[in-house]
Amino acid sequence: MSHNKTSALEHFLARLYVDGDARQRFLAAPATEAARAGLSQEQCRALEKIDRVGLEMAARSFAHKRARKEKASASALRGWLRVRQSLMRLRVFAAYLRRTDTSATQ
Amino acid sequence: MKMHDRAGIGWRPELASGILANLDRIDVLEVIAEDYFDHAARLRALKTLARQAPVVVHGVSLGMASTARVDGKRLDKMARVVNQIQPESWSEHLAFVRAGDIDIGHLAAPPRTSDIIEATAANLFTAQAAVGSMPQMENIATLIDPPASERDEPTWLGDTLNCANACLLLDLHNLYANSINFRLDPRDFLARLPVERIHAVHISGGKWIGDSSDRRILDDHLHDPPDPVYDLLAELAANCPNSLTVILERDGDYPPIEHLLAQLDRARSAMARGRAARAVAIPSRPSVSERCAVLEAAK
Repeated sequence: MSHNKTSALEHFLARLYVDGDARQRFLAAPATEAARAGLSQEQCRALEKIDRVGLEMAARSFAHKRARKEKASASALRGWLRVRQSLMRLRVFAAYLRRTDTSATQ
Repeated sequence: MKMHDRAGIGWRPELASGILANLDRIDVLEVIAEDYFDHAARLRALKTLARQAPVVVHGVSLGMASTARVDGKRLDKMARVVNQIQPESWSEHLAFVRAGDIDIGHLAAPPRTSDIIEATAANLFTAQAAVGSMPQMENIATLIDPPASERDEPTWLGDTLNCANACLLLDLHNLYANSINFRLDPRDFLARLPVERIHAVHISGGKWIGDSSDRRILDDHLHDPPDPVYDLLAELAANCPNSLTVILERDGDYPPIEHLLAQLDRARSAMARGRAARAVAIPSRPSVSERCAVLEAAK
């Protein structure tokens, strides 16, 4: 199998794993969709025999992982914003203390 | 040769206080490299941690089992973490995680072809040059048997590691899950791996998914390692000529730290059981003092 053909197959599989519409189109007509993606006859034949149960399970698992990652990065961002907010409050408080200290000495 | 088998745990912020309070019962810590890629403060904290316990670094995003060239920017970040921390070793997965503009978001099993083997080896040599050492490469769990494969998984793993002259980070739960999911014998799978290339092991747990007509094991790292994983660990220890470092992976539903420490003890027991079996199978050469004692007695 040539390097380019394998690369095309990787790309095709990645699309099946993340794109539900592409996956449904493929499962309805595997050989047609694989040929449309420019895959070799050998690859098209292999994809006709794809492990359909495994494909659905893997796609669900990947979707779950992506969602978890997004949630984790959103919560990290919220945490960072909270830290920044606390620092700003501290700065405002410190400025207030400096002001009151200066007026007391005058 | 005296074996120095160790058991450690994956460092997670949720487990930090429990781990730090029990460093005397944990031989080694494994940190996820990506957690430190863009965080200078975290990296400084990790340097402090690495002074208190042996650390190994584990990557999850390089996607080196692919025809796509490994991303230079990510490699540079990995090199920075490894150079700063000076871990005992670093590791990655035999997986692809993206293709072109598509990010799969997790580790996917590539088609097991000669092309992928050659491309993976090329990526590993690039990584070795960038980071300064060859990563140990982990076998992944998969729910789908990758289509258009020319080899079964044990053969593909052996061929890839030989081609790159790399070591295998053997994830025993991944081996077990794939064996069950694709009807292989896990012991046969283990026996077919290049045991001399194994120094590091992962253990974890998963759950059954699917309906009764086609159930599979999902490696979710949210459960305890099942009994067969410990049996496989004992079998590995019985056959492996290298000292082993076992890391327990847990990514959520965290139990009390004592529960996890008990799993490390169980891993140590499994390895001791395996080593005892190995000692019976391969009698060790008597030491000089033992030989002298025999000679004295014979006089």
